[in-house]
Amino acid sequence: MISHAFASFRRLSYSNRIVTTARGDSASGAWFGLLRVLKLHFVGKLLAVSVCLLSLAGAGAVVAQDAQPAQTTTQPAQTPAQAPAQSNNQPAQNGAQPAQGGAPAQNVQPAADDGKAQPAPNAQQPAGGAAQPAQNAPTPVQDAAQSNDATIAADAGQSQTAEQLANAGKELKRLRDLIAKASDDDIALAELKVQVDAVGKQIISTSIATRPRLDEIKARLTELGDPPGEGQPPEADIVTAERKRLLAERGEINALTGEAESLSVQATKLSNGITATRRALFSNTLLKNTDVSIEMFDEALSATANETKVLSRSTMSWLTFVWNYKRIPLLTAIFLSICAAMVFLVGSNKLFSPYIHHDKSDEEPSYFRRLSVAFWSTLIPTISTGAFAVSSFFFLHSFNVLRSDITPIIAIALAVTVVGFFVTTLANAVLSPWDSRWRLVRVSDRGAKVLLITIFAMALVNGLDYMFGGVSEALGSPVVLTVVKSFIASVVIGLIIIASAWIKPTLKRDEPFDAPGRPWPRIVSIGLMLTGASLIIAAASGYVGLSRFIATQIIITGAILVMMYIGFLTGKAVSRQGAFAETLAGRYLERRFKLEQVGLDQVGLMAGLGIYALVILFFIPLILLQWGFQVADIESWTYRAVTEIKIGTITISLMGIMAGVLFFVLGYIVTRWVQRWIDGNVMARSRVDAGVRNSIRTGIGYIGVGLAGLIGVSAAGIDLSNLALVAGALSLGVGFGLQNIVSNFVSGLILLVERPFKVGDWIVSGTTEGFVKRISVRATEIETFQHQSIMMPNSLLINASVGNWTHRNKLGRSEIAVTVTYASDPRRIMDLLAEIAGAHPMVLKNPSPTVGFTAFGEERMTFELRIYVADVLTGGGVRNDLRVAIYERFRDEGIGAPFPLKIEDVPIEDQTGIESHEPETVGEPKGATSAEARAAAPKKEAASAAPLDEESEEEGGKRRASSRRSNPNR
Amino acid sequence: MKTFVIALLSGVLAAAAVSAATVTNKDGETAVLVVVEGESRMEVAIDAGATEMICPSGCFVTTPSGDRIGLQGDENVEIVNGSAIVK
Repeated sequence: MISHAFASFRRLSYSNRIVTTARGDSASGAWFGLLRVLKLHFVGKLLAVSVCLLSLAGAGAVVAQDAQPAQTTTQPAQTPAQAPAQSNNQPAQNGAQPAQGGAPAQNVQPAADDGKAQPAPNAQQPAGGAAQPAQNAPTPVQDAAQSNDATIAADAGQSQTAEQLANAGKELKRLRDLIAKASDDDIALAELKVQVDAVGKQIISTSIATRPRLDEIKARLTELGDPPGEGQPPEADIVTAERKRLLAERGEINALTGEAESLSVQATKLSNGITATRRALFSNTLLKNTDVSIEMFDEALSATANETKVLSRSTMSWLTFVWNYKRIPLLTAIFLSICAAMVFLVGSNKLFSPYIHHDKSDEEPSYFRRLSVAFWSTLIPTISTGAFAVSSFFFLHSFNVLRSDITPIIAIALAVTVVGFFVTTLANAVLSPWDSRWRLVRVSDRGAKVLLITIFAMALVNGLDYMFGGVSEALGSPVVLTVVKSFIASVVIGLIIIASAWIKPTLKRDEPFDAPGRPWPRIVSIGLMLTGASLIIAAASGYVGLSRFIATQIIITGAILVMMYIGFLTGKAVSRQGAFAETLAGRYLERRFKLEQVGLDQVGLMAGLGIYALVILFFIPLILLQWGFQVADIESWTYRAVTEIKIGTITISLMGIMAGVLFFVLGYIVTRWVQRWIDGNVMARSRVDAGVRNSIRTGIGYIGVGLAGLIGVSAAGIDLSNLALVAGALSLGVGFGLQNIVSNFVSGLILLVERPFKVGDWIVSGTTEGFVKRISVRATEIETFQHQSIMMPNSLLINASVGNWTHRNKLGRSEIAVTVTYASDPRRIMDLLAEIAGAHPMVLKNPSPTVGFTAFGEERMTFELRIYVADVLTGGGVRNDLRVAIYERFRDEGIGAPFPLKIEDVPIEDQTGIESHEPETVGEPKGATSAEARAAAPKKEAASAAPLDEESEEEGGKRRASSRRSNPNR
Repeated sequence: MKTFVIALLSGVLAAAAVSAATVTNKDGETAVLVVVEGESRMEVAIDAGATEMICPSGCFVTTPSGDRIGLQGDENVEIVNGSAIVK
């Protein structure tokens, strides 16, 4: 069980291919199993269709049977021979099913040996004694033929199931043999367990495939009804025959399912057995006690001499052989390996040089920079060394240079080199003994050097231990040799650890790095001494395996943990505010995408999280492998973690939820795209009104998001009927709390469909008046003429009356009041006014402008010029032009010229009290409200107060007041 | 829009749980099922009208009618007249 990096590497190197093919086999097996199940479903469908045809054809015969009381209760003896032997050992079942009028057949009938359904004729007979009626009903030939067809099809389905089960049984047997053979190979056992579990799953799905046919048979049996009892009229011959056949088939299916059941139990037993074996294997390897004695060392000594001889002999013979007969392949392999090494070395140096080299010019590198350099300068060279080791092994292997006894030695030597390199590089990066500026931990120069030597020594001893262990294994040396080597290595490592308790690396806060340093804190030094002592004691008392395991874990797991810690610190440092902008990637992003500070910070946060994820994804499996778990274990855990998390009886599938979210996001993106496409291409080109466009776009958005939600929910594998509960709870909530929101949402939909107003319209509702900017889910945004945005709940707009100035068209009437003295000729005035209005290009000819003589004032006559404009929003400008024109024309015509010039604009109610001889434009009396005037305001560039384009500010204020008075609603 | 999305998501999360096979006894009398799951064989008595959760990860069930069916673990099963109807 304790397979360490070395062992796994070694096995990986040359058993990988076998493993892959084995896994490929199991994968393709699963795939074919799936195909088979699908095919079976198809066959089931075919059966269903043929049975339907049969029942239609034989309807005449069935009708007679339908008259019989429909007793769908269990037919006690319908189950014929039940195959599995274990059906005998169910004593409780007899008592447990008292209500069924007799125990199921498997209890009545002793198990048949061959496991196949032997339709026991006695059991098939209906219970009633007079079941065999006179068989004189005429049998249509085609009925019989069809029934035969159906039987054949059904038999085909069953035989296929039987075949699959037989295959599964064989597979299980094969796996059992393999397990027996590989009872001490942990990796193989882990792989086999995966296969056994897959077979178990396949058995269940095979038996599930028979379910439709069983349902059909049951349905058909119900249709046929029970056989006629005593004294009842006899049934048709064909019916009896069919019932007999169906019962036989039912029995056959039950027998098959029983077989599947027993196979499934066997599979589970096998799987559990593997787990037990692996557990035992682990504890045996780890806790095996060896007798440590002088004889053992004696024995080992002679074995060492022997082994050295064997080693040198086999190495020499291999070298001679290779040199004489395989010189070219050997040289090619060495050359290619060196090339690969150069590529890795130069490539990683070129690509990552700023990340893995200490910048000499940097006087005070930031903590983040030190961290990232330490992390990358360990990771990248280690990976490239590993790649080099793998590639050189690959070349040697593929050129057939290696011999079977040399292969493991080379593999373990390479693996030990890589791991030793990793530990040493990491220690060097963290301690940086020759450059205190780049040191990650605060230790003295001298302390750093001594610590590095200590760590290197431990890694070396441990690595040599594994290397020699591998050599012994490869050469088939006695076990005692390996034990003695491990014993010595453990003791040496223990001594080194104890010795390291006396190193003086720590520094005070203000001390320089070249200070002599202080001893460890007491707790650390005691811990080191205890650890070392326990290693030695464990080895001395015979637990060499355990001792070696702990020594390895201290070195390798410790190194990985340090690496993880550095990774986490890097992630934390990157996600700190403003830190990412300082990094190379941050600067690049800033340059390339012109990212702002906030954006960079967000990217930095994501990068930090990404580093955390990478660290966890990469190092956790590494540590687990270290501890003796196999790749197959980790694979199956990961698979289970993402597909099903069980909490009690509830299963949650992370994968399903993620798929659901993914589909929702996809649906959302597609919706947005469709929205944009329809809006920008279809509707914009067909000159569809902006309001309609908005309605359609919003509608598409709602539908799309709803559909995306449904698809997402289905993809997440959520039963929508479960949602009914949520919907029920929601509707209760809607009844109380969400009532307003829902009412507004529905009102919004109505607004979009009915369109009493659309985006861009000028509407008046209650005290709010302005342009509709946006109709959203809950509220409608109205912008007043003063550019104030008002969010009006949609339900208000549905429930209250809404005035719309631009509903069907933008045509609008506008009035200008003109007063002149009685000295003028009213007809002349009216003609003049009509002429002036008619001359303005924006005044509509149809309906034509009209002039009304509206009032006899005390001093003056009042006329009203009524004009129509195509766009009510332009009314203000037109009125303005007209007033100017009227004034100029009247002045030229001399109307009122003798009188002193006195221009006064008064509200219509007050005008009678004011003396004026000049033509005077008065604020819009009725129709055109001040709002209309204000409406014109946005059209002007000036953002000043709205009425100013017509009157002075003071007058405007007055006029507003007056129009408010004239319109009590406002 | 946001509210809508949040409501939808919370609904999804609330309903994200997929449960084991549920067996409902629609008969007037107690049904005794023999459930074989993993290595163990057990008898599950379901009262008239009661619903039980069985086998979260695949099992075989023998119904009172004597029929044997395999279950994947996500089905809804009804016992009608002693035999199982898988929905």
